[in-house]
Amino acid sequence: MATLDLKGIRKSFGKLEVIRDIDLAVNDGELVVFVGPSGCGKSTMLRMIAGLETATQGEIHIGGQRVDHLPPADRGIAMVFQSYALYPHKDVRGNLGFALKHAKVDPAEINRRVNIASDILGLSEMMERKPRELSGGQRQRVAIGRAIVREPDVFLFDEPLSNLDAALRVHMRVEILKLHQRIGNTMIYVTHDQVEAMTLADRIVVFRDGNIEQVGTPLELYRQPANAFVAGFIGSPAMNFLVAEVSGGQVRVADRTLCTSSAPDGPAKLGLRPEHLELDDNGPLEGKVSVFEHLGGESFVHLTLADEQTLVAKLDGAHEFVPGATCRLAIAPEQCHVFDADDQRITTRAISGEAA
Amino acid sequence: MIMRERISSAGIHAVLLAYSALALFPLALIVINSLKSKRAIFGSPLAIPDAESFSAEGYASVLTNSDFPLYFSNSLIVTGVSLVLILLLGAMAAHALSEYRFPGDAFIGIYLILGIMVPIRLGTVALLELIVDMGLANTLTALILVYTAQGLPIAIFIFTEFLRSVSREIKDSARIDGLSEYRIFFEVVVPLVRPVIATVAVFSMIPIWNDLWFPLILSPGEETRTVTLGVQQFIGQYTVNWGAVLAALSVAILPVLVMYMIFSKQLIRGITAGAVKG
Repeated sequence: MATLDLKGIRKSFGKLEVIRDIDLAVNDGELVVFVGPSGCGKSTMLRMIAGLETATQGEIHIGGQRVDHLPPADRGIAMVFQSYALYPHKDVRGNLGFALKHAKVDPAEINRRVNIASDILGLSEMMERKPRELSGGQRQRVAIGRAIVREPDVFLFDEPLSNLDAALRVHMRVEILKLHQRIGNTMIYVTHDQVEAMTLADRIVVFRDGNIEQVGTPLELYRQPANAFVAGFIGSPAMNFLVAEVSGGQVRVADRTLCTSSAPDGPAKLGLRPEHLELDDNGPLEGKVSVFEHLGGESFVHLTLADEQTLVAKLDGAHEFVPGATCRLAIAPEQCHVFDADDQRITTRAISGEAA
Repeated sequence: MIMRERISSAGIHAVLLAYSALALFPLALIVINSLKSKRAIFGSPLAIPDAESFSAEGYASVLTNSDFPLYFSNSLIVTGVSLVLILLLGAMAAHALSEYRFPGDAFIGIYLILGIMVPIRLGTVALLELIVDMGLANTLTALILVYTAQGLPIAIFIFTEFLRSVSREIKDSARIDGLSEYRIFFEVVVPLVRPVIATVAVFSMIPIWNDLWFPLILSPGEETRTVTLGVQQFIGQYTVNWGAVLAALSVAILPVLVMYMIFSKQLIRGITAGAVKG
């Protein structure tokens, strides 16, 4: 149970700066997800919190105590790795108890904690097995159990589900969520999968090139992305971006107004989520169907607009299109996201003028 | 299809069998002839010993009329201690090279491995001077030091390659569990690379056990002779006690054989580990 504060963290490998001045405060009991494309610095940040890398500059505080000069074992953290990192020559019980045994904890206490962890994770049946005799999901459970046994202040997860197959990933995601609800510890979870980020997080931190792009709850990030990068990263399928023209507060694509904006006249970037587009015979967006994907309950239409821009719309399963057909789409003005030349968000207003 | 696979598998086995026969032939010849009388050795060298030609006089003279047990224990000590040092120092150096980044790490890595290309015997004169200056001439320590130096480059080379393949996350995980760097090496890394250790052990042991050169030059004294050197006493200028020579060599094969049997399972895993990543 602890807060985590990162203050002015920088990290360079030689001349390459991978983390540039990160400030972040994580509340007690919060599950914060670091998300971003590979190479964005999220894993490096996590390894610095763990103490596996030293920050070039800045301070790390856990539970109000400065920890960046402490070795990993004294920071009150436990980490779960992508490759599980179990000790192959020890059985499940040996893996779970190893850290405590090393810390010379009383054997009865080790037993008690190992049993609690194995109960929580349903490992009781396989305590005498070696890691190679376990499935991927079981191994990851042992890895999580090993973290629980240490009773840390902060749990660190480094892409823990990336090595599992799709079905198991969904299952383990729910398990981690349940675990968080049950033990309520502060958790930092690193992933490149925005679905994991959306479903697990109390708050999401979006990284790019060693910077934090935006911090917020999943819905804040979805509804009000601070810039085009966050907008494109959060949500699946990804947001469509169209080149638009702003004149007199009107945001226009192919001479049809989609929404209004306080943006100055000139070119702008218009972001439209596929799920917000809907069929409309008088819609402003008209294009030819290039690909049509039907998933049963829903379908995806890939359109090529008259000016060669492409667009994906998510429709319900009732519609069917053949490639080459014409399709007209509309979107509610309040669902439009307008970004300026630097990809920063510009506040939009509804076309009807009902908003101030 | 099955027929073709069978034929190719039979072909492979034929080649392997032929090679095994070729490799085992000299060994068999030594063991067979060590059990024959001197006359039989020369009369019919390829014959299996029978009631008439059988003679254990070679073994008798080796075990009773010489200091063979002393030579044998000298060889065991030199080989054993050198091997422990090679494995320990080699694995630790390789761990440092593969795990840590420090200034000059690439240079040190190349420096340590360079010895593979330079035969240590080229430096015999310098080594002899050095050993004499240190007052280590005619000691087993001299041999142990030289053999350790001789075995380290290839050991470090093999270990570095394999230790690089040990998952970084396991070591990180041990760090978070609070293990010191030494305990990470001994408790986490070493158990993971046991097959490689066995491989390096066997490959390092054989040249040391078989070496005649350095015992002859550095430690020719009566007290410090190794088996290979001790056998020379049966080879006189005018007469050679072949029975004793062959008996001594037969006995000398045993430790290598025992060692190989102990490590063979690990060894095969070590050799194939790179090829079929299991």
